[in-house]
Amino acid sequence: MLSSRSLAISGTGIRLLLADPAPVLVNLVMPLLLAGFLMPATKAQLRLAGLPEATGAEQVVPGMAVLFAFLSTMLVCTLFFREHAWGTWQRLRASQASSLDIVIGKVIPLYLVQLLQMAVLFGAGSLLFGYHPTGSLVALAVVVATFVATLVAFGVALVASFSTMDQVLVVGNLGGMVMAGLGGALAPAATLPGWAQAAAHATPAYWGLEAIRDITVDGAGLADVAPALLALVGFTLAFAAVVAWRFRPADAKVGTT
Amino acid sequence: MLEVTDLRKTYGERPVLDGVQLTVGAGQIMGLLGANGAGKTTLISIIAGLRGADSGSVRVAGLDALRQPRRAARHIGLAPQELGLYPMLTVAQNLAFFARLAGLRGGGRRRRVAEIAAALDLADQLGRCAGELSGGQQRRLHTAMAVLHRTDVLFLDEPTVGADVRSRAGILDVVRAMAAEGTAIVYTTHNLMELEQLGADIAVLHAGRIAVEGHLDDVVNRYATASVGLRFDGAVPALPGWHADGSRLTPDLPVTDPAAAAARALAALDPNQAACLTGVDVTHPSLETAYLAITGQPRTSENHHALVA
Repeated sequence: MLSSRSLAISGTGIRLLLADPAPVLVNLVMPLLLAGFLMPATKAQLRLAGLPEATGAEQVVPGMAVLFAFLSTMLVCTLFFREHAWGTWQRLRASQASSLDIVIGKVIPLYLVQLLQMAVLFGAGSLLFGYHPTGSLVALAVVVATFVATLVAFGVALVASFSTMDQVLVVGNLGGMVMAGLGGALAPAATLPGWAQAAAHATPAYWGLEAIRDITVDGAGLADVAPALLALVGFTLAFAAVVAWRFRPADAKVGTT
Repeated sequence: MLEVTDLRKTYGERPVLDGVQLTVGAGQIMGLLGANGAGKTTLISIIAGLRGADSGSVRVAGLDALRQPRRAARHIGLAPQELGLYPMLTVAQNLAFFARLAGLRGGGRRRRVAEIAAALDLADQLGRCAGELSGGQQRRLHTAMAVLHRTDVLFLDEPTVGADVRSRAGILDVVRAMAAEGTAIVYTTHNLMELEQLGADIAVLHAGRIAVEGHLDDVVNRYATASVGLRFDGAVPALPGWHADGSRLTPDLPVTDPAAAAARALAALDPNQAACLTGVDVTHPSLETAYLAITGQPRTSENHHALVA
């Protein structure tokens, strides 16, 4: 049960995101633009890989959605670090909200924004690029919802682990790009070198994209993607453990407005 | 309302709080004074549950604030020294948010927001973004966010820094009103005149302890010093009971009425000596001179005095 204080913090988080929507809009428009450019090459690549009916959307739409979902984790970090820059973090801590209320309250709007971003990208991918999964849409929704939870936990783990926004930007963007790339966001994981394919298993992007690929191309249902979902839950718990270990509300953070 | 007993906090090897004792009752305004780095903000942060203490006890409205910080937080209002507001949200949204966190609901919340906005002269600014306000208006909003719920103990950490004359007056009025309603207020400032205007009690934090605690008048009477000096261009004349201190002539003994002493000295000068006089410095006893006298001394067990029971 969410506390009223978490809900109040979430409401304010949503207002703050709406007050400065540019980062969210960029993460919606950019992947669609890139998808348009990447479609022809990806179509050829997929057809060579044994999918004669492929349009390219099967790879590009989920790939861009996952890549930009990683980049959107910086929003998670920004919303925490700006509290420090605005001097409101101490006020929140001095209020009647507990540390858990504060973290949950901040995470909810970011989870919803990430979910919305994924929904818009898959929806626009369907309308603009003809992305039509052959498998269960429910399974797709569950995979996306779980993957987003993993990324939000990744973002909070970054917040917990670093003391400045610059550090988070470097590690988060670089780590996010590497994980997304290894996981198959830019090219199917099966086309990557052997070492990269092995390393891909250690990234949540791989498990998310594998599940989405199975649903998109192979007509998979919820039971078929259960192993990938378990892997994503495992990553989420691992990031949550980092948060539990490293997150200290009293730590001084250097944020930017 | 607030009872701090033998509170200790060390940063590395440096003891910042070294056995602080402080009691603030309902309706009392306690001016907490101390040099930069004396530990005022650390003390407030510990009481407000933002930092841990090494040892000691803090009771807020009868609750153990070190063991039950969340429960104690219901009874505490805090305006930290550093401004804390959401610049992209309106004044009304800032106030409503912190009112919600304080547990205010529905009509009660709206009434309280309107009441506090009016008291701090922000009623006309409710629709403006906090980031667009002047420095003084932001300071008033910052203070308003701390007084939304009727707290038992209110901490205002330098609430008038950067505030203009009007903002300062508004903040002091709210402090008086809350004290009149029974809130125990701990007020830190470097502007000692504000404490005189508030008629506050005084606690001086020095060398990790409350070196002096008492009513402002008693602290001034006990510790404040008056001084007088006559400045000369050239040779400093000799006057009985006075001695030369560089280019100044100062009395041999402490004076209680520096203006009268100066007048007597001026009358004793001959015209040639008076012609070389360039100025007269008169310092009356005040909280400032008391504070300087207190903090200028090394801490000893003898100079902790509770002047008012």
